[in-house]
Amino acid sequence: MHKRITRLATVGIAAAAVGVMLAGCTPASSGTTEDGKSKVVFWQQKFEDYQQDWFKAQVAEFNESQDEVEVELLVVPADTWDQKLKAAQAAGKAPDVKTTSYGNIKPMQASGQIADLSELMDADAFDDIAENIAPFVTVDDGVYGYPLLVEPSTVLFYRTDLLAAAGIDAPPTTWDELLDDARTLTTGDVYGMNIGQTAPDLGWSSWGLQYNVAGDFPLRGDWSEASADDPAYEDLAKFYQTLYTEKLMPQEATYPYADCSFFGEGKVAMSACGSWALGQLSANPDWAGVWENTAVAAFPSSDGDPTSPTSTLGGWTLTVDAKSKVQDESAEFVQWLLADDTDRLVDFFTATGFSKYPARVSVTEALAATPEAADDPFLATITEDIVPYAKAEPSYPWDVSLAFATSLEKAMRGGDIPAAMSEAQAAIEDVIKKQKLAGTGSD
Amino acid sequence: MTMSPQSTNRLATAASVALEPETTAPAPKRRRGVGRLSTHVMDNRTAYVMIAPMVVLLGIFVWWPLLYSFYLSTFEISFYEEPLFVGLQFYGYVLEDPDFWHSIGIGATYVLYTVPAIMIIAFLVASFIRTVGRKVAGLLKTTVYVPTVVSAVITSVVFVFMYRADGGLINWLIGFVGLGPFAFLSDPELALPAISVPGIWLAFGITTLIMLAGMYDIPQSYYEAAQLEGANFFQRTWFITIPLMKNVLLYLVVTATIAGMQQFELPLVMTQGGPTNSTMTPNLFIFNQFKDPTPYATSFSLTAALILFFVLGGISMLIFRLIRSDKAIDA
Amino acid sequence: MKASLGRRVATYALAALIVVSTTLPLAWMLISGFKGRSEVLRTPFQFFPDVWLWQNYAAILQDPAFLQSMALTFAGALLFTLLSLVVNSIAAYAFARLDFRGKRFWWVYCITPMFIPGMAILLTSYVVVSNLGMLNTLAVLIIPGAASAVQMFFIRQFYLNTPLAIEEAALIDGAGRWRIFWSIFLPQSQGVFVVVGVGSFLAYWNAYVWPILTIQDPGLQQIMQYIAGFRSERGNEWGLLMAGSTLAALPTILLVLIFQRYIVNGVRLAGMK
Repeated sequence: MHKRITRLATVGIAAAAVGVMLAGCTPASSGTTEDGKSKVVFWQQKFEDYQQDWFKAQVAEFNESQDEVEVELLVVPADTWDQKLKAAQAAGKAPDVKTTSYGNIKPMQASGQIADLSELMDADAFDDIAENIAPFVTVDDGVYGYPLLVEPSTVLFYRTDLLAAAGIDAPPTTWDELLDDARTLTTGDVYGMNIGQTAPDLGWSSWGLQYNVAGDFPLRGDWSEASADDPAYEDLAKFYQTLYTEKLMPQEATYPYADCSFFGEGKVAMSACGSWALGQLSANPDWAGVWENTAVAAFPSSDGDPTSPTSTLGGWTLTVDAKSKVQDESAEFVQWLLADDTDRLVDFFTATGFSKYPARVSVTEALAATPEAADDPFLATITEDIVPYAKAEPSYPWDVSLAFATSLEKAMRGGDIPAAMSEAQAAIEDVIKKQKLAGTGSD
Repeated sequence: MTMSPQSTNRLATAASVALEPETTAPAPKRRRGVGRLSTHVMDNRTAYVMIAPMVVLLGIFVWWPLLYSFYLSTFEISFYEEPLFVGLQFYGYVLEDPDFWHSIGIGATYVLYTVPAIMIIAFLVASFIRTVGRKVAGLLKTTVYVPTVVSAVITSVVFVFMYRADGGLINWLIGFVGLGPFAFLSDPELALPAISVPGIWLAFGITTLIMLAGMYDIPQSYYEAAQLEGANFFQRTWFITIPLMKNVLLYLVVTATIAGMQQFELPLVMTQGGPTNSTMTPNLFIFNQFKDPTPYATSFSLTAALILFFVLGGISMLIFRLIRSDKAIDA
Repeated sequence: MKASLGRRVATYALAALIVVSTTLPLAWMLISGFKGRSEVLRTPFQFFPDVWLWQNYAAILQDPAFLQSMALTFAGALLFTLLSLVVNSIAAYAFARLDFRGKRFWWVYCITPMFIPGMAILLTSYVVVSNLGMLNTLAVLIIPGAASAVQMFFIRQFYLNTPLAIEEAALIDGAGRWRIFWSIFLPQSQGVFVVVGVGSFLAYWNAYVWPILTIQDPGLQQIMQYIAGFRSERGNEWGLLMAGSTLAALPTILLVLIFQRYIVNGVRLAGMK
C-alpha cells in the first residue's frame, strides 16, 4: 500500500517538478543581468518591419558599444499593447523604456507613470527638439518623453491616372470639391474616396478635421466643459455622412484607417491616410501599378484655407518608467539612440521611405542633405504644406475622443446629426465629471 | 471566453456533459448513498491530502485573485501613486453608466439570437439522429461535434471572410435567392445577428449530443404506447420528450445563456465591438475599458467585471438550485 | 418493419444536409488555403480555386515560428491535460467516496470557481503569476488552470456511480484508499479521462487572451497567438491565413476523430447506467 502512495506521490512531485522547471527558465527581471550589468527592459510597439529591424540592430550595437548596460528588446503587438502594459504595471514589471505616443505623454505624466528626462539626460539634448514638437513632450518644466518621429495622421492620397481620366486636373481643396470629385470618381469598381469609418479609428483620425471645422477640439480650454454641441461639428458629421451614405467610399471597414490597402489594391481613387502609408504603398510589389500613379496633397480644408489644420501630428517617443530601478541607464540608452549621432536617425528616416519625419532640427537638416531626400517626390509636400500647420494630438483621455467618434460614426451611418452630437456632448460631460477633468486641461 | 484558463467555454461545455447524468436519470435513492461509505469512519487525513493540490491551486489562482479584485475595486487604482480609497464609488459609476447597460443589452440580445436557435436546431438534429441507423447516427454525432473543437479565434477569422460583401461565401449563397450583397459586419443592424451565426455554429453540436443522451434515457416503451394510440411526431415530442427532458433542457438553456452573456472573442476579432457599438458585449466593453492609461479606466473596468460576476453568479446559482447536485454531498 | 424507399432517401438527404452545412465553414477554410493571394475574395465568388496551389500550406509548414508554436502548444497542452487529470481526479475521488470533516465547505470552495468569470480576475491573477515569477514560461499556461471545478465535478459524477461492493471488499482486505483509487478506480476511468482530457486539451489549445497577456517571448508563442498575429500583420495574404488556420485547427479535429467513440459514449456515460 505504501508503495502505491509513493508512486502517486511521485506523480505529484514530478508534476510539481515540471512546474518548477518550467518556471525556472524565467528570464531575470529588470535590474541586473547574471554578469552584473544593469539590465534595461525596452518594449517596442510593433510597427512596420523595417522599424523592428532598425531597433533590433541599434539595441545590438548599443549592447556591443559598452559593457555596463544590457538592453533587452521586446516587440509587443499593437492590438494588445495597452492591456499588456497595464497588467505589467499592476505587477510592478513595467518596462524601463517604452515607445509612447505623443497623446499619451500627458495622461501618463499626470498619473506619475513616466520619469522627467530633463533630470536624467544632458540639457543640450533637448535644445535640438523642433520648436513645434517640444510642447508635445513638455509638462511645466519637465520633459517626459524623447521624440523619435512625427507623422501627420491625415494626408490626401490620390490616383493621378484616375483623376486625369475623370477630367479632374488638381486634387480638391475644399470639402465640397472633395465630395464632387468623389462622386465623379465613383464607378462600378472603384469608390471615389476612402476615410476612417469605425469609432475606434475615427477617434483619432478625425482629430485634424475636428480642429479644422471648429477651430478646436470638442473638449477645450481647461477642460471644464464639453463643446461637442458646437454647431460647426455638424458640418463635419455631414461630411462623413455624405461620403458614407452616398456610397462614395467603401461600405465595409475591411481595413483599419492606419492600413492604406484599399488604395493600394486600387479599390479607391482617393484616400485619407497617415503619411506612413507612403512606406506601405511603396513597399508592396503587387501595388507597383498603383504606386506609379500615386500623388499626395494636404487634406482639403472645409472652407479651402490651406493654412487651417486638417491633420494632427502623431508620432512616437521613448519614455522612461517612473518606477524603473535603472532610470539613469535607461536614459543613457535613450540619449544614445535618439539624441546623439544624427547618422543613426538619418538611416532610420531613409528606411521609412520618407513617410515619417524627424523631431530634431539637426536630423531634419542632415536628412535634407541626402541625395535620396532630394529625389523624393513627396517630401516637400508633406514637410511644407502639411507638417507646419498640423496640430498636436489632444491630451485628454481617450474616452473623450471615443465618445465623440461613436456619435460621429452613428451620424455617418445615417443617424440624425444634432441628436448624435448632443449624445456626444452628454457623454463627454460625463467623462469630465467622473474623471475629474475640470480645470486640469491646459490646451 | 478563453480568458484565464479557469473558465472557458470548452470547460463549460464539458460541464454540461458532466451534469447531464443526474438530471436525466432521476437519481435513484440508492445512488445518493453510494458516496457515503461507512459513515462512522472518517478518512480525514487521506481526504485532505487528496484534495490538497486542488485546494491550493484554486486558492492561489482563483480565490486570492478574486478577493484581491474586490479589495482593489474600492480604490481608484494607481500603480504609481498612492491609490485613493473611494469605497463603492466605482460601483455607482458602473451602475449608472449607460454604456455598461448598453453592453448588457447587447449581451442579452446576443443570447436571444443564439440560445433559442441552438436549442431548436439541436433538438431537431437530435430527434433526427435518434431515428436513423447506427452508422448514420455515428457519422452525424461526430460531425456535429467537430465545430465544438474549433477555436473561436479561427472561427472568427473564417466567418469574417465568409461575410465579406465583395466575394464572400455567404453573400454568394444568398445571391441565389436574389438577396444581397450585404456588408454584414459594417451594418449596425446586421452585425450582431451576423456574429450570432458562428456563435450558434460553435455551440449547437455539443448541445445536440447532450440532448441526444437525454433522449436515449427515455424508455422506448413510452413511445411505442403513444404510437399505438396514434400520436404523431409532434404529439410525441410535446407530451413525452419535452416533459421528460425538462431538466436537461432547462439546464442547457441556462448554461448557454451564461456562455452567451460572456461572449467575447467573436466580437473582439470580427468587429471590435462596432459598428456603432452594436456588438459591444459586456466582456468586450470591460476589456476595452482596460485600455486607457488612466487610474479611472483600470478601476472602472475591474468593477464592471465584478458586477458582471454578480449578474452571472445569480444565474449560475439558479442552475445549481435547479439541478440540486449539491445535495449529493453530505457534510 | 422496413422503411420505404422514399423515406430512406429523405433520411439520407437530410443527413447529408446536416453534414454539409456543419462542415461548410471548415471546408471553405481548407479549400481557400489552396487559393492565390487575390483569389480568396474574388467577385464573382468561386468556391474552388482555378489552380490548386500548394504554396500556402508549404509556406506555413516551412515557417519555423509556426512549427515551433505548434510543437510548444502541443507539448503544453499534453502537460496541462496530464496535470489536470491528476489534480482533479484525486480530488474527485475524495469528494465522491470519502467522508471527512468540513467536506461541505471544501466542496463549495472547489466548485464555486466554475462561476467566476475570467475577466473579474484577469488583472489580479496576472499580478499573482507575475509575483510567482511565472511570466514568460510555459508554467503560466499550465499550472493556473490545472485545477478545474468542472472537470473535478465530472469525474466525481462518474465515481459516484461506481458500485460499492468492490470497494467494500477491498477495504475489508485491508487496502488503503490510495490503493483502492489506484487499482480499482483508475483502471475504469479510461473513458471519463478521455472526455475530460479532450476538454482540457482543447481549452489549452484554443486559449487566446491569457497567453497574449502572459507570454511575450516570441520563442514561447502559442498557436492562437500565432494565428491572431498573422492576421494583424499579413492581413492581405488571405490564402496563407486560411492555410495557417486550417493547420492550426487540424490537431483538435484529429483528436475528435481519434477519440470519437469515447466522446460520443462519454456523453451517455452515466445516463445509461
